[in-house]
Amino acid sequence: MLEQSRLRDYEARCTQESAPRCRLSCPLDMDVRGFLAAMAASRPAEARKLIERHLPLPGVLCAVCDHPCEDSCLRRDLGGALSISELERVCLASVSPQTRILPRPAKKQRFAVLGAGLAGLTAAFDLGRKGFPVTVFDTDRSSALLSSFPCLPADAVGREWQDMEKNRVSFQNSDEAVFYSEDAARAFLATLEQDFDAVFADLSRLPLSLEAEALDPLTLHWQGKVCAGGHLDTTPTGALYASASRQAGEGRRAGITLQRIMGGVSLDAERDDDRQSRLHVDLKNVPSVPRVLPAAEAWTPEEAAAEASRCLQCSCMQCVKECVYLQKYKEFPRLYARRLFSNATVVKGTRTTANVVMNGCAMCGQCEVICPEHFSMADLCLEVRRDAVSRDVMPDSAHAFALEDMEQACGPDSAFLLEDSSLPDGTHAPRLFFPGCQLAGSRPRQVLAMYEWLKSALPGGLSLYSTCCGIPAHWAGREAVFEEHSAELCRQWEACGRPEIIVACSSCKSTLRLALPTARIVSLWEMLDELMPEVPSFEAMPSRFTVQDPCGARHDSAWQKAVRSLASKAGAELVEPVRTREATACCGYGGLVWNAQPELADDMTGKRAQDFDGPVLTSCIMCRDRFAATLENEGESWHLFDILPQTAGLAPEKGDPGLSSRRAGRAALRREALGAEGEVGEAGGTFSLRISDDVLASLERQFILRQDALEAVQGIEATGMKFRDRETGHFLGSWRPRRVTFWVEYRADEDGGFTLLRAWCHRMVVPGAIQPSTEIVMEKRIRA
Amino acid sequence: MALDPEFKPDHGDWLCAVCNVPLEQLKVQVFYMNSAFDVVLPRCPQCGMTLIPESLANGKMAEVEALLEDK
Ligand code: SF4
Ligand code: SF4
Ligand code: SF4
Ligand SMILES: [Zn+2]
Repeated sequence: MLEQSRLRDYEARCTQESAPRCRLSCPLDMDVRGFLAAMAASRPAEARKLIERHLPLPGVLCAVCDHPCEDSCLRRDLGGALSISELERVCLASVSPQTRILPRPAKKQRFAVLGAGLAGLTAAFDLGRKGFPVTVFDTDRSSALLSSFPCLPADAVGREWQDMEKNRVSFQNSDEAVFYSEDAARAFLATLEQDFDAVFADLSRLPLSLEAEALDPLTLHWQGKVCAGGHLDTTPTGALYASASRQAGEGRRAGITLQRIMGGVSLDAERDDDRQSRLHVDLKNVPSVPRVLPAAEAWTPEEAAAEASRCLQCSCMQCVKECVYLQKYKEFPRLYARRLFSNATVVKGTRTTANVVMNGCAMCGQCEVICPEHFSMADLCLEVRRDAVSRDVMPDSAHAFALEDMEQACGPDSAFLLEDSSLPDGTHAPRLFFPGCQLAGSRPRQVLAMYEWLKSALPGGLSLYSTCCGIPAHWAGREAVFEEHSAELCRQWEACGRPEIIVACSSCKSTLRLALPTARIVSLWEMLDELMPEVPSFEAMPSRFTVQDPCGARHDSAWQKAVRSLASKAGAELVEPVRTREATACCGYGGLVWNAQPELADDMTGKRAQDFDGPVLTSCIMCRDRFAATLENEGESWHLFDILPQTAGLAPEKGDPGLSSRRAGRAALRREALGAEGEVGEAGGTFSLRISDDVLASLERQFILRQDALEAVQGIEATGMKFRDRETGHFLGSWRPRRVTFWVEYRADEDGGFTLLRAWCHRMVVPGAIQPSTEIVMEKRIRA
Repeated sequence: MALDPEFKPDHGDWLCAVCNVPLEQLKVQVFYMNSAFDVVLPRCPQCGMTLIPESLANGKMAEVEALLEDK
């Protein structure tokens, strides 16, 4: 079961939701970024709505604000901070108020504010909006503000009062003595404390000498039911001045405390004044753009929009920009984490897209490297996949094909362990070559040639072990399958004397590390680089390559170095793509996306291929095959085997061999390597089924193997249970050897063979289309 | 989870090769992951052998399979 604390760990890593610096340095928490986006889009009414939502007394505050937001703006050194305060005024002047004041039903608690300075009026404004009757006491309504801010237009204060009155904020004259005699002020506060639920004292107006520590800096609570704030500042030369933003901010903070005093709840619970932005903004490649200044005294709407569009719309999204999977649902890791966790804990039947999300990640680890906080979607998705498997809600179809393929690669017609026959009985070679099931499948002849060469070059003999490393089970979240397979690997490894393992695939390397933690594992490339001080050039090789590091080798600098060294020795000029080495991008093979969501995997391949300038060279056969399938010129995708002298001439002609050929390739490697012992009963026998390239390509897209089609036609012909087209004489029949039904449409040829015309498949169970295992299949499915 | 009720062959004029009779559009119940649906499909009226057209397998059926799996 997924723990909620894990979700919080994940969430805390992604800072994309944390506010930008401008907003955090505004004591009123103004949504500056949203405001500027609306202004840049020439939608001042929308912009004004944001001002009205966030700022108290907007007509007053915007006129006099000392805009600390601008001091922290990230544009500051890139052309100058945004003219935020100026644009707020432009906005207020260009459109009328957008929020209609609909007074809430009056609440019974009442608050008092002593002193009509900006802090006092902000507290009154906020409480009034919440429906609390507030009484403001001063000598008159506006002189307090006008004396702090002499440039304030007199009518601005009057207009704000009109609005506040609609929200039941009223004004009462009080004795002038309160504002010059400390005793009078304290006495008056004491009576207010008696008559009201809580009281705010505006320190810009009152002659109170508070001990500095008497005021709680977070809550502005002073004593009893009284909060205080809004004092004036002193310049170094001793002049008094008012910081509008700080005063308003204190009024707002105190307003919250007053409500808590009234409610009798904790004054400081869940409040903190950490206003540091954690948002990471990548400023690389951001060009400097100078401030836009109005040509005349007043701003034109165009000038305002131009200035607003200098805003960087600060956000992180650095990982998302690089990954098509992360872009797919238009969200970012923090939200994905939330979505995956909530889906995992919600009852069955109401889940929506969790499966698609968790199974779309290539688990390539790029985001973890790019993210300044090292958020790992791969870890998250693996954890969620394992959880889904353990609760039996992982969709069967997502990874069924990949897991069957792994089973085949580890099964009797493909897997084998060959000990060096030149060694005396009972002794074992000190090393073992582990080519990996995909390389064995795509390049059986090259694997064998490399094995022979290594055997001759390395002292003491060499074993060969062809099987799957188990990474598909790991990626699929099938821990039990993975462990069982690891145990088998371990048995075999121990049986051949715990040799050092030479791997040719970076995913094998990381997986074998998990399965055989005590084994010494070294990459073939490092081994070759050591063994070959010189590498003869292969004449058909392009002179220049872009290097693609496989995602499994992103943290393996020795691997990366050896690959580059071998290629350079062979005479190739190497170009690094934009994201390379530890930040390399996935070819789309990782994480079994190619099985669960083939189109998404293709998009990943396509995106990465755009980073290449000419032919690409890689040390991973899946990278090589996937790029061969994507690149317009399939000859532009090269595996290191294709340029090394031991193997170069043995490359197959075709671009991407595909699933069926890879299976056949693994079996062929076994037969070749074991000689006569390698013969296992050929399932096909002499039965001949012709499949054109086009039909085969369509089979591959549907994960139907050549072998599946062959067995289907053979089985159908044996039972005779099929349909016949009266017009063409074509046959059509179905075959359900496991949890999938294959349909084959075919033609009988004159020579006794058959030609496959098309094939399709589905997982649903249809009575009347379930041969060969009628009852068993039916019952299992229905009871499942 | 409505499957469209009726599906015909994509092409061809199919006979049951066992019974040698033309197929008829008949109601069949199909199953997947604890759910069952009534569908009208081309079927042999004698032995019950049923045809799933390619367009159904790769269209509506695939959609419903994904939907059920995502529950
Ligand atoms: S890089 Fe991605 S995961 Fe990391 S903070 Fe930015 S948006 Fe979040
Ligand atoms: S660039 Fe825009 S979002 Fe970023 S700090 Fe400046 S005003 Fe705020
Ligand atoms: S595919 Fe790679 S970059 Fe994208 S989320 Fe998964 S691990 Fe991160
Ligand atoms: Zn029949």
